[in-house]
Parts: sequence; structure tokens; C-alpha cells
Amino acid sequence: MLQFVFFIPLIVGIAVFFLPAKTGRLALFSTAVIHALFTALEWFKLSGPLHTKYFTNTPDGMLVLAILSFLFLFISLYTVFYMGEVEMSKEPIFNGSMLLFLSAMSMVAIADHIIMLWVAVEATTLMSAPLIFVHRSKESLEATWKYVLICSVGIALALLGCFFVIFSMEMSNIQVPISFTSLTTVASQLNPVWLKAGFIFFVIGFGTKMGLAPMHTWLPDAHSEAPSPASALLSGALLNCAFLAVYRCHQLMFAAGLGEYSSNVLIAFGLASMLVSAVFILNQTDYKRMLAYSSIENMGIIAVGIGIGGLAAFGALLHMIHHSLVKSSLFLSTGNILLAYGTKVIDKTGGMLQLIPKTGVTFFAGFAGISGFPPFGLFVSELLIILGAIKAGRYVAISIFIFSLILIFAGASRLVMQMVFNERENNEILIPEKWTRTLPSILLLLTSLALVIWLPDSIYQTIQNSISSIGGTVNG
Amino acid sequence: MIHISDIFLALILLSVLLSLRSNRLMALVKLMAFQGIVVSAVPLILDTAHGITFKLIMFFLLLVFVKGILIPGMMSVAVNKVVVSTEIEPIIGYHASLFAGLILIIFSVYITNHLHLAMAVQYKMLLVTGITTMGAGLILLMARRKAITQVIGYLMMENGIYLIGTALAKEVHTQYVVEFAVLLDLLVAVLVMGIVLNDINHTFDDVDTALLGQLKD
Repeated sequence: MLQFVFFIPLIVGIAVFFLPAKTGRLALFSTAVIHALFTALEWFKLSGPLHTKYFTNTPDGMLVLAILSFLFLFISLYTVFYMGEVEMSKEPIFNGSMLLFLSAMSMVAIADHIIMLWVAVEATTLMSAPLIFVHRSKESLEATWKYVLICSVGIALALLGCFFVIFSMEMSNIQVPISFTSLTTVASQLNPVWLKAGFIFFVIGFGTKMGLAPMHTWLPDAHSEAPSPASALLSGALLNCAFLAVYRCHQLMFAAGLGEYSSNVLIAFGLASMLVSAVFILNQTDYKRMLAYSSIENMGIIAVGIGIGGLAAFGALLHMIHHSLVKSSLFLSTGNILLAYGTKVIDKTGGMLQLIPKTGVTFFAGFAGISGFPPFGLFVSELLIILGAIKAGRYVAISIFIFSLILIFAGASRLVMQMVFNERENNEILIPEKWTRTLPSILLLLTSLALVIWLPDSIYQTIQNSISSIGGTVNG
Repeated sequence: MIHISDIFLALILLSVLLSLRSNRLMALVKLMAFQGIVVSAVPLILDTAHGITFKLIMFFLLLVFVKGILIPGMMSVAVNKVVVSTEIEPIIGYHASLFAGLILIIFSVYITNHLHLAMAVQYKMLLVTGITTMGAGLILLMARRKAITQVIGYLMMENGIYLIGTALAKEVHTQYVVEFAVLLDLLVAVLVMGIVLNDINHTFDDVDTALLGQLKD
């Protein structure tokens, strides 16, 4: 039954290519609902995988799958109404690729075999490429070319990492299936040198996909040129999937007793990402690029949190949940802003509170959330990471961490204030906002709020189970 | 003692060096087809220990079809649509690239010897070839401007990684489902790149990546 989460979107996705656009929209939303149902079945462990050779049901994978499924439900709802407003000549291709993209990402979440995981991550790149260049403008072509080439090359290096991990097993003359589950059971016997080399290639390869600096260069281009529903999906779901791939290998390193090494690597890449995004966000002129750099920052935060471990690991996974919810809400809002103003340049927007008040309030609330203001969840998760770091005695890392957070807040708040509150010379907007297109982003934000007030026990337990293998615990 | 696989590996190295020297896109595509076929044959030559099974031969034929016919076929369709089919101003010159290729071979031998691996000598040679092919692919990716040459660089890199995988992770080559999935990914990757290439050619009337410089901070 587990495999249905990627089989169904795959089949419907292929069918949508050949169906008329209106039917495709309906198929998009109904598949999202079905996907959510199957994910719920898996979440409550009502059914298991058909063949455990390639796929399995792990707590960290289920967490990523649940976020993906939940986001896709709202994003597909938004897409249905968004498509009603924009003229897109190749709409069936867009809708079909959204579903194929969902299928590939679901496959990442449940993959257990190392090479299958690689295949699934590479598939996410290929399935999302049509989403970015659907407009066929010069800029979107450039963004797609960079995206496909940089990510394919990066992920090819990850394949090398997979081979190194497999070789570390063959060197010790062990014969087990090459899946993460079975490798973890024999982890202490694996050759440590080759395992370390494998981890480095894993981080470089899948880190490219996750947007870790200095391999992040494709990310701002792709996120800014893709249509807003696709950007929301890229930022909210795809980056988590890439993170999951890195995290699986990190867990293996911990089981092999090399946890300190891999933690330090993750902290270094995470801090580099935060600093890079802080520098580039300061003088940003394009609001979608601004949000893209913010995604790089947040992936850095997650990497740092996981690297520090303990309480911070709990914070990192909590951060992943809330970042996905808030960031995809923000990207959905940018869809409305783009429809209203017809431009992505910050200086040409303004007065959102008068012109498009619903979107203005949602966008500003989302910004408050992403900057880590209470009552949104990112406040809690960042606080947990900072507390965890102080407990672990990582003072230098956490100083850089806090410094970057302040810099990013200072840079982004100026831009967002300008967009929301500044007076605009002419008060004409192209396409007015509608409830149907603001409701999904409001609901995503409200979910983030609700999870702060009441974190359901099953989510709490799943996070606990995910991080127990790397020594993470909520009790510090 | 000269193992028969050495001849194949020498042919791969030759195709690598030639492709670093070549400036005509069509010649590069033909070289890729040749390299693809030879690379697919390597597991067939080396895995004589398990005996040549029916599955192994079928998979070899599939590999040859995809790497030797299908992908080069798609690439040559793309080349035929391009107006200027020679690389005009490479970022790194041809002589320099060729020299870099030779250095790369020495470097790979050095790495392989340095690893002190307990494996048969033909597998070590395979590792040398794999690292060189991968490195040369990266050189092509970075040193050339035409988008088509970059795709070829990517393919070459993938071939190199495949060879390294053959040398290190023998386990994988017995799992045809997995290998088939990897091959499918490669095919779709080239297909997607081909479609984007076609659109770049259509929009800019060239496939020069120097034209793709609008997006930056």
C-alpha cells in the first residue's frame, strides 16, 4: 500500500498531459486528496510497504511525506484558482508535471535502498524542470538550464557517494542488502574512511539540491522564475526531501560511530548557507529572490540544528515543519502580488494594505513568521536550537547563527515594509485579489499557529523517533 | 599480462582525450556514442567470474541501445538544428584541455595507487579510467560555452561514475531493477536537457551559454 503514494500521482500525472486543462485541474486537486488519504493511512500505520527491499516506512520519511502531502493539498487548491486567472498555453504540462513532481518527492520520502533514493532525488529534478520553464521567457530558460545542469551534476556526485558507502560495506566483506535499514544494523563494521568519503559526497550532492552554500546558485533563479505554486512546492517540499537524503546518511554515520565528524560537516555547511543568504538578502530588488534566499537560510538553520544534536535536533525538525508551512504560504501570496502588480521588482510594488489588503496582511504575517516572531512556530524552533547549542557548548557556531539571523531580519524587514506600507504613485492594479486565492495561504499560516499551541502527540512522537538515532531528545 | 579489458579501457581513454580536443559538435556526439557502447561493454568483460548470464546480455543490449543509439540520436537531432555547430571561443583552449586531460590520467593513477586497495589489477585500471573520464567530463562542463557540449560533459561524467561504480560497488550490478532505474533517469535527464536546449536555440538563435547571463545578484 505504501507505494501507492507515488504510483497514483504518477499515473494520474501522465494522464493529465493528454486531458483538457479544466479536467486536469480537477484531477490535480482530487489526486491531492487521495494522496493525503494514503499518507494518513501510512501515518497511523494502518498499512505497510508491499516490498521492503526498496521502500520502507521510517519516522523521518513519514514526517517529510506528511508535510508534502499537507502542503500539496493547499497548493493544488490554490493552483486551481490561480490557473483561472493566468493565461498559460501549456497548462496540461504544468498540471501533469506538478503531479509527477509529487510522485517523485513521495518516492524520496519512502525510499530505503540507497540507489533508489538517488534515483528518486534525480527524478524530482527532472519532473520539476518543466514547472520552471513553463513561461518560456529568456529568464526562465536560463533558470531551468542552470537548475537542471547544476542539480544533475551535483546529484551525479551523490551517486559517487552512494558507491563509496556500498564499497565501505564490500571492503569489510559484509553481505547485506544495500538499504539504509540493513546498513545501519551492521554500521559499526563498515570501513570508516570510505564511509566518511561517501558522506562528504552525499552532502555535496544532495546539499546542492537542498540549497546549501556554496552549491546554492541555482536556487534563487529557479524559485524566482517558476510560477508561484511551483515555487511554493519547490521551497516547502523539495528542499525537505533533499534534506531527508542527507539526514539518512547522517543517521548511518551516527550508527557507525562517526557522528561527530558528520555533525561538524553539517554545521559548517549550515553556517556558510546562513552567512551567504544574509549577504545576498540585504540589497535584494526582487521579492521572490528574497524569499528564495530566505529558504537557503532556513535550510542552513536546519543543517546547523541537526549538526548540534540533542535539543537542537528536535528544534531542527520542528523548524522544518514550520518553515514549510510559512514559506509556502509566502510564495502563494507572491502569486497574488505578481498577478496584481505584474512585476517582481520590489520598488514597483507598495501600498499592499490599501490595494490588496487580504494578501498584504497574509504576506506581512508570513514575514513575521519566517523571521521568528512569536506566536509563530519558527520562534520556538530557533529558540530550541539556540538553547541546544548553548547546552552543547557550541558558542562560536551559535554566535554566527544569531548574527546571521539579525542581519537577515534587518535586510528583509526593510524590503517587506516597503512592499506592504509604502505609498504607491498610481493606484491601479492588474488583477484584484480573491478569497479563493488568499484562503490557502491563510490556512497554512493558521496551521503553523495551531501547531505551536497544540502539537499533536503523534507528531511529537514521530519527531522523537526520528531524532533518537542521532542522540536527539527533547529533554536535552 | 594484458587483460582483454585493458583494450576497452584504452579505447575509453582515447575517446576522452579526443573529445577534449574536438571542436566540432557532431564529432563530439559520435565520440559519445562510441564511448557509451564501450563503457556498456565493460561489466560484460569483467564479470566473467559469475559467468555470462542471459540477463547480463539483455542488460548489455539495453545499455548499448540507450547509451550508444538513443541518447546520441537525440543529441544529433539537437546539433542539426543549431546554426553554428562549432565551439568558437572555449573558456579553456583545446591544447590546454588536452594537456589537462593528460595530467588527469597521471593524477588518477596516483590516487588509485595511494588508496592501497586490495583488488585485482584490472579493477584498478578501471578505477583509473573512471576517475579520468569523470574529471574530463567536469572539464568539458566548465570549459565550454555551448550548451550541447555541456550536456556531453555531463554524459561523460556519468560514464566515469558508472565505471567507478563498476570497480567499487559490484553489488549494484546484480540488481537490474536499480540499474534500470538509474538508466531511465539518465535518459529522461538528456530528454529534458534536449527540450530546454531546443527552446534556448529557438529563443536566442544560438546555444551559447554566455547568452544566459540575465539572472544574477
